[in-house]
Amino acid sequence: MKKFFALLKVSVKSMLLSSTNSQGGSRKRAATGVGAMVLIAFLGLYMSGFYSWMLMDVLAPVHMEVLVFIFMGMGALVGGLLFTTFAVKGVVFGGRDNDLLLSMPVSSTMLMASRVSAIYLENLLFSLFVLGPAGAVCAFMTQSGVGHSALFWVRLVVAVFALPLLDTALSVLFGALVAFLSARVSKGALGQNIVMALYLAAVFYFSFNLNGMIEGLAANAAGVKESLSWAAPMLWMADGIMGEWGKLLLFAACCILPFALVVFGLGRVYRQAVTAFAARSARSDYKLSAQSASGQKKALLDKEAKRFFGTPMYFWNSGLGLIMLVAMGVAALVMQEDLRMYLGLLGDMMPVMPMAALVMLFCLSMSAIAAPSISLEGKYLWILREAPVGEGELLWIKTGFQLLLSVPCTVISGVLLTIALQLSTLEGAALLLATLLFNLGHAAFGMLMGLTFPKLDAVNETVVLEQGMAVMLGMFVPMAAVGGCALLYWAGGKLAPWAALALPLSLLAALTAVCVFVLVKKGPAMLKAL
Amino acid sequence: MLRIEHYSKTYPGGKKAVDDLTLHVRPGEIYGFIGHNGAGKTTTLRAVAGVMDFTEGTITIDGHDVKKDPVGAKRVTAFLPDNPDLYEFMKGIDYLNFIADLYDISAEQRTADIKKYGDAFELTGNLGSPVGSYSHGMRQKLALISAFLRRPRLLILDEPFVGLDPSASHIMKGYLADLCRGGSAVFFSTHVLEVAEKLCHQIAIIKDGRLVKCGPTDELVGDSSLEDVFLELEGDK
Repeated sequence: MKKFFALLKVSVKSMLLSSTNSQGGSRKRAATGVGAMVLIAFLGLYMSGFYSWMLMDVLAPVHMEVLVFIFMGMGALVGGLLFTTFAVKGVVFGGRDNDLLLSMPVSSTMLMASRVSAIYLENLLFSLFVLGPAGAVCAFMTQSGVGHSALFWVRLVVAVFALPLLDTALSVLFGALVAFLSARVSKGALGQNIVMALYLAAVFYFSFNLNGMIEGLAANAAGVKESLSWAAPMLWMADGIMGEWGKLLLFAACCILPFALVVFGLGRVYRQAVTAFAARSARSDYKLSAQSASGQKKALLDKEAKRFFGTPMYFWNSGLGLIMLVAMGVAALVMQEDLRMYLGLLGDMMPVMPMAALVMLFCLSMSAIAAPSISLEGKYLWILREAPVGEGELLWIKTGFQLLLSVPCTVISGVLLTIALQLSTLEGAALLLATLLFNLGHAAFGMLMGLTFPKLDAVNETVVLEQGMAVMLGMFVPMAAVGGCALLYWAGGKLAPWAALALPLSLLAALTAVCVFVLVKKGPAMLKAL
Repeated sequence: MLRIEHYSKTYPGGKKAVDDLTLHVRPGEIYGFIGHNGAGKTTTLRAVAGVMDFTEGTITIDGHDVKKDPVGAKRVTAFLPDNPDLYEFMKGIDYLNFIADLYDISAEQRTADIKKYGDAFELTGNLGSPVGSYSHGMRQKLALISAFLRRPRLLILDEPFVGLDPSASHIMKGYLADLCRGGSAVFFSTHVLEVAEKLCHQIAIIKDGRLVKCGPTDELVGDSSLEDVFLELEGDK
């Protein structure tokens, strides 16, 4: 067991260092990292608390608190899967330290178990952030007294620890499939992108259906629960938390068994799997033809594009927001009549243009393309440093690549939403202005975060894209700025209608100007100092 | 071609990796830079290549100050680190074209040079595969081709013989000589003293960040061997 904990310590330490970036950095930077982690934890707890409260508000009066745990359990499971499936490819099967660790006198099952345990710990956080607030909300709002006993909390803790086992087992299986495809299919990145697209389509389909279920909850909560019989383990978990110990044990067994099967089953062939997933040999049938030349800027932009589209984890982690942005515009146009009818029912309760802007800015916040690009250079950074290109130009190429992708998506989505929501020309222009300003500020801020929190020694892309501080801050700080804009809109509305628009736009313009100014003034020196 | 004047590099924490180094490499020269592990060879080569900043002194390449005109200096230089990590998501041919684009090399020249060096290093057939599928030696060859492609005025190589098979080493030595005949210069570090003795016109020996001896190879070695001179200077003999 000593060896297992030593291996686990290495995996966890690597994850923690990549998140807090405290290795060798200044105290101030480490403190910023820890502060950001606390902020993200707070946001996670707040969001799951908010959803739990919304559900409990409807369900507690009809004594169907159990459904809250079913839905939140599903949320934790799906969220964890989304977050860790691609991480598995890097952390479990693709670590750069594989050769080193596989040469050590430890069994491959133990090595596999230590790597999988690191994934389990990530999923455990998800489970804790989602089910914890649900339990707290239940304790406050229950009308059947179920959340008031100490045993309720004991059962909840059992569920919180058991659920990530199931999540981890599933993500390891999906991750192994992704790793297998990358190694076997000649267009590995394309194959992975297709698998991920299908996977996300299924998740979105499920989410839309779930929304439909939630709408009809109050009227027919028992019926909704019955219709979820296909998700039996979630039902057992929820019934277990509510007091049925037998079902809780059944749920725990349902989580432990697949986890053990995955760890011991794949562990027995771990060495073979790692070898097979890594095996790629160079072909020797290339025939050289006349080459064409292009300029420096195009070459650098092409390189960024090759990395973005050729690295599925980068594409899906940083590009999902843009896909959602365009999909939202298209969906709004296709379903414009339903949408307008729904908005008509809400009347003046919901200001249409600011809400559209809010949703667009949220999607854009998720698209941190520039933020990880410095860390993704990692061991290749010498190539750019050796090249006859100035630091400032390199930074603007990277920032510009994000804009090259996000600006067209923003314009398409903005125009489609303007048509679908029948916004006036002025409102449409304000929507585009706000979102385009945000684009520039977000890209420049992301680049600055990439320079401030570089992770040049990351063992794989997962560490940079899913655990890197630059990406986390590059997403969550802009989201906080969007929140600030919403507050200013509300405050401005109290003063005058023009102030409601002018204040958030001014904030966006000011923040963007600051980010661009700092990037221009400090960016090149920061890049040089790396 | 290369003038290093009173160059010093101090790492954060106060460790002085190189202390007051001065040396000159003339056009047409192959200049060997030798020393024990941690002597400051790589630190010097990286500073010359403009990959790493330095604290004191000046470095000029073909009249371009590395600090004041870094882009101008890099335009006439090619650098090959000891373990060249190349973009694994690119195919070999894409990487060569990427480098050629950065150095504004015409389509005709790059096609001809890729063929020349690719065939010589027996890599042309593999150029359609991703770099991620290359062996260490193949990556080294690809990095070398990308360096020769630039027709640099100064070629900086850090341990270039590590990972190369004997045939590729022989070919590389031939191309280094060709480059120097054309008026360029080569500045490289190595632990293979026999190669340095045979190949270099000038040799510098560095110990604990300080230059202990430099000069024409014949004069430096005299009647003994470079190995004897090196061990004596290093205090191991």
